[in-house]
Amino acid sequence: MVATPDLSLADLVRDTRDTFEINTDIYTSSDVFDAEMRNIFERGWVFVAHESQVPEPGDYRTASIGTQPVVVSRHEDGQIYVLLNRCRHRGTVVCRAEVGHSNYFRCPYHNWSYANDGELVGMAMAHGWRDDFDKSSWGLKRAAQVAIYRGLVFANLAEGGPSLVEHLAPVRRYIDAWFDRSPAGTISVIPTAHKYPYPGNWKWQAENGHDGYHGNYVHESWQRVLARAGEAPVREIRKFRGGGCTRGFRNGHGLLERPGGLNPAASWTGRMMVTFPEYDQALRQAYDDDYIEFVSARRNIFIWPNLYLFDTQLRVINPINVEATEVYLYVYALDGVPEELNRGRYRAHERFYGPSGFGAPDDVEIFVSNQSGVRARGVQWALMSRGMHRETTNSDGELVGHSTDETPVRALYRQWCRCMA
Amino acid sequence: MTTTVPSATGSLSAAEAEALVHRECRLLDELRYEDWLELFTSDGIYWIPVRDGEQADAAGLVSIVYDDAARRAERVFRTLHTPVLDQNPRSRTVHFASNIEVVDSDTAEPRIRCAQLVAELRPGGDRQVGLNQTRLLAGRCEYRLHREAGVWRIALKKLVLIESEQPLFNLAFIL
Repeated sequence: MVATPDLSLADLVRDTRDTFEINTDIYTSSDVFDAEMRNIFERGWVFVAHESQVPEPGDYRTASIGTQPVVVSRHEDGQIYVLLNRCRHRGTVVCRAEVGHSNYFRCPYHNWSYANDGELVGMAMAHGWRDDFDKSSWGLKRAAQVAIYRGLVFANLAEGGPSLVEHLAPVRRYIDAWFDRSPAGTISVIPTAHKYPYPGNWKWQAENGHDGYHGNYVHESWQRVLARAGEAPVREIRKFRGGGCTRGFRNGHGLLERPGGLNPAASWTGRMMVTFPEYDQALRQAYDDDYIEFVSARRNIFIWPNLYLFDTQLRVINPINVEATEVYLYVYALDGVPEELNRGRYRAHERFYGPSGFGAPDDVEIFVSNQSGVRARGVQWALMSRGMHRETTNSDGELVGHSTDETPVRALYRQWCRCMA
Repeated sequence: MTTTVPSATGSLSAAEAEALVHRECRLLDELRYEDWLELFTSDGIYWIPVRDGEQADAAGLVSIVYDDAARRAERVFRTLHTPVLDQNPRSRTVHFASNIEVVDSDTAEPRIRCAQLVAELRPGGDRQVGLNQTRLLAGRCEYRLHREAGVWRIALKKLVLIESEQPLFNLAFIL
């Protein structure tokens, strides 16, 4: 039972040999949303920050796990702690800033103070508390588990379950390749981010980042912009968008992949290697040609449930309520590459993404149009079966579909079912 | 087409500054984006930073908008002449500029400081999500001007929205 007595999981997802359909109440029901917070976001690995966002002891930033406010804090011991942002006394948040540096968090209400590993270190006018008051059990509540993979910090509010490495295992080699576009194998998030809210359900964004079916229609405007700039005729862009593949993985992960290669006419990596000989040299020193080619494919990688790895950004999906979402795009530098290469990436990012970009606002317009449309409850089901008849399973157990097929979104909803069951 | 106010003297007068700022407001509200392009110098920059700072630092960060002439022309082309979903229906706007001050009026690069408020609404069918609601976007504005052939043109327009670091819904019209 997922939500209310009148909604069972079987009523929400139809996954048969011939069809894959989702009951659109999952975008409009507050009961479903509440169940998602409990069963997905509060019981499993959720992305909270990248290590480069809290580089020094004492650095912190606030984030959310589902709808729960947390502080991601680096302690003097160098460890990262994920703490519920709530004073143990009366429930006040102890940290109001987005980012900062401090040796402790002090509650503004009655001056309770916590070290940045969450330990309760002081209470105002301690004489009013019993002598045997055990401060050690009244620290800021810590996430039950915190783990880091290649600088990506994940937290799990629940004990047990798969380890982070087990959670990421099916998609791990693609995550590695994504990081290895940097010859150092690492990224550094830069200080300015793009953020946008939309009055719609969080899953619209989750579904869309690896959807290869919408590009020619939602982004026709973008294709015209590129054509006008002489960068590619619309015909060529459509051919490119028809290439590559989609992949669906266990545990809800998925990706959309565009072909790479070392040919500067056909691949970004190839172009960068010609433009920046230092980059070419550094990549060749770090990897062999086959691996560079593997790395050079452009991939939008969804890591269940709230993170996308994009070519210019870490994209974090923050559910606010059933009809409200905030999306944060943390733009990053590839480490170990010429600064000019990264600056070119930032300009390319600004051109497409963010509230005033030439592409992303069209996607957001679709999300709110979806939210409007599913109010027509006379139709209950949305169809996600494109390519089911032609997708294949490779030797690694990945489902591989045509680049316009709905293979990744089916992986997402199969995980959704496992979590909600 | 010559669009900005001719200047009789070398210094920027308060009246000239006000006329230029008000003209920009009107061109944007009337969707005369191609005329708006003419307000800028050929190397002019239209900048909406995420975080206020020096222009020299913008290249190493991302901004909401950081448009040189080519990108500005592209923005206008996209908005007016391509099938943009995010401007269908189009935004209706009213740009307000006030608290106008002229700074360094006697130099080769005088500046205007002002406050800008934009009211925006996209009209549509009843109860459509994301439409039919008025938004207010407030910011502080700085212009740097150059005089070209007797006409003041914009070498920099920087608009720092008070909510520049907060989540911002689509800004697919020109602020």
